[in-house]
Amino acid sequence: MSYIGIIVTYVFVQNFILVQFMGLCPFIGVSKSSESAIGMGVAVTFVTAVASVVCYAVYTYLLIPFDLAYLQTISFILVIAALVQMVEMVIRKMSPSLYKALGIYLPLITTNCAVLGIAIINIDEGYNMLESFCAGLAAGLGFTLAIVLMSNIREKLELTPVRRSFRGVPIAFVSAGLMALAFMSFDRSLLANLHLA
Amino acid sequence: MTRYLKTAFILFAICAVAAILLAVINEVTAPRIALNVQQTAEETLAAVSGGYEQGEAREGDGGTVTSVTPLLDGGSIVGYILELSTSGYGGEITMATSYLTDGSVLSSKVMSDSETPGLGKKAEESWYMEMFSGLGADSPLPETKDDLVDPSLVSGATVTFNGVSSAIREGSEYVKTLGGM
Amino acid sequence: MAGHMKELTKGIFKENPTFIIMLGMCPTLGVTTQVFNAFGMGASVLFVLLGSNMIISALRKVIPDAIRIPAYIVVIASFVTIVEMVLHAYVPAVYDALGVYLPLIVVNCIILGRAEAFANKNTVLDSALDAIGMGIGFTLALSLIAAIREVIGAGTITLLNLSETQRVVITLPGISESPVRVMTLAAGALLLMGYLKAFFNWNTGRKAKGGESA
Repeated sequence: MSYIGIIVTYVFVQNFILVQFMGLCPFIGVSKSSESAIGMGVAVTFVTAVASVVCYAVYTYLLIPFDLAYLQTISFILVIAALVQMVEMVIRKMSPSLYKALGIYLPLITTNCAVLGIAIINIDEGYNMLESFCAGLAAGLGFTLAIVLMSNIREKLELTPVRRSFRGVPIAFVSAGLMALAFMSFDRSLLANLHLA
Repeated sequence: MTRYLKTAFILFAICAVAAILLAVINEVTAPRIALNVQQTAEETLAAVSGGYEQGEAREGDGGTVTSVTPLLDGGSIVGYILELSTSGYGGEITMATSYLTDGSVLSSKVMSDSETPGLGKKAEESWYMEMFSGLGADSPLPETKDDLVDPSLVSGATVTFNGVSSAIREGSEYVKTLGGM
Repeated sequence: MAGHMKELTKGIFKENPTFIIMLGMCPTLGVTTQVFNAFGMGASVLFVLLGSNMIISALRKVIPDAIRIPAYIVVIASFVTIVEMVLHAYVPAVYDALGVYLPLIVVNCIILGRAEAFANKNTVLDSALDAIGMGIGFTLALSLIAAIREVIGAGTITLLNLSETQRVVITLPGISESPVRVMTLAAGALLLMGYLKAFFNWNTGRKAKGGESA
């Protein structure tokens, strides 16, 4: 599959939140305002892109040569946890203003399914390093797209009368369901029609 | 300083214990997993072989056809089992399809897929593949679902059907180029 | 003993991890297309939760505070890997059905959440009971969601699906001929989750009101 094909796949066709349910906790938790949604989206995109490459390298150059493929899960999650910690330290040193904007979201990313999810999917699909990077970037972008759209909907919902039992999380889920319905129009035939498959 | 060393040592010890434990369990389960994979592959091939003897497997054309196993009857080749890989709605579909040398489909079986349950997953059921049986030589294989006797059987899963049927058609053409030999 | 029993039962209803605390959503919706998958996921999470809760509780005096999160992650990931290997070897059908959601148990917030909130403060016995309760609560919630999705979306209830010969499927007449297929897809899962959460909100709200007036 071409690089553009991979990007279209993970942003639209296999959107991490709306099709695969990965990263649903922050999607519901951090989507109350569009400002925090963008912050979370950027932080996640950065980590998924970097983690995809690093996990690919760890798997291909460390685990496979030493016949340790069964340590995949444990090593990936440790790589991701270390990476998130490192990103946090670097951002704090380099740009205090960026740290102020993203800082509170970074620790949450370690337990975001989307990051571990894309690392494992890259291995399962047999992507090479550049393809893994594209997939990681696209997964993050898809996450950002969904969470930003969601935060805009929720900001509108704040001003709308909603039945008490539906207020907050339930109506967010229903809105997400309706968005997922819309995203169903992006399917494999889209890739075929764009000659990307 | 000693506090840091102690902390590092504890974390290292936990990791070491975990790694050793996993290595032991891997020793136990790995052969079993390999056996399972081999067994499933053999069972699938046997299920589509139509009762003929199986010859030596070899590589396919590198595209849709991933491997070719000749079917023998008393030493002469009567057909082939092809392992086909195609893309469905949810991702890759792999299947084993057997053909007679004239290119007609003997039988077919899905080996792995990630299609939607209730829609594309129907390809795993035996009636789905029977729609193709016997076709490919004199009577053509269906190209779209409108060529079927009852298109409503695959409605809602057109992408899956197109993937499966195009792979089976390609396999049929491939077998025709191989001939009897 | 009554105190211990409370640790066990709170996870099933009052602090149900899925409906009340809303943790571990991705596997909840990702694997609930068939009831049998929900059993498989529930059992795997129960095992990992029980193992990690007990180990973390036993080591709670040994692990320094500074490295507790990485230490917990290593313990949890080890148990997840054990489950992965055992399922792959002995029940490959379940391994295939759960797919990528099986290794993702590592980042299931329920497990790290219970380690942080309960196991590092309580005894091994209480932590084990807490894990069993939470695990059962999670399994029940998953089974409920899966049952609704499968009945409406496919008109069947799959209780066992190990191979073509070992399969128990209840097919409901009527709905299985023309099921509402969107329920098995992502959109249906999200909609259903919204309605279920609203139902639980309404139910607790109603109970709270009843309590005040009584």
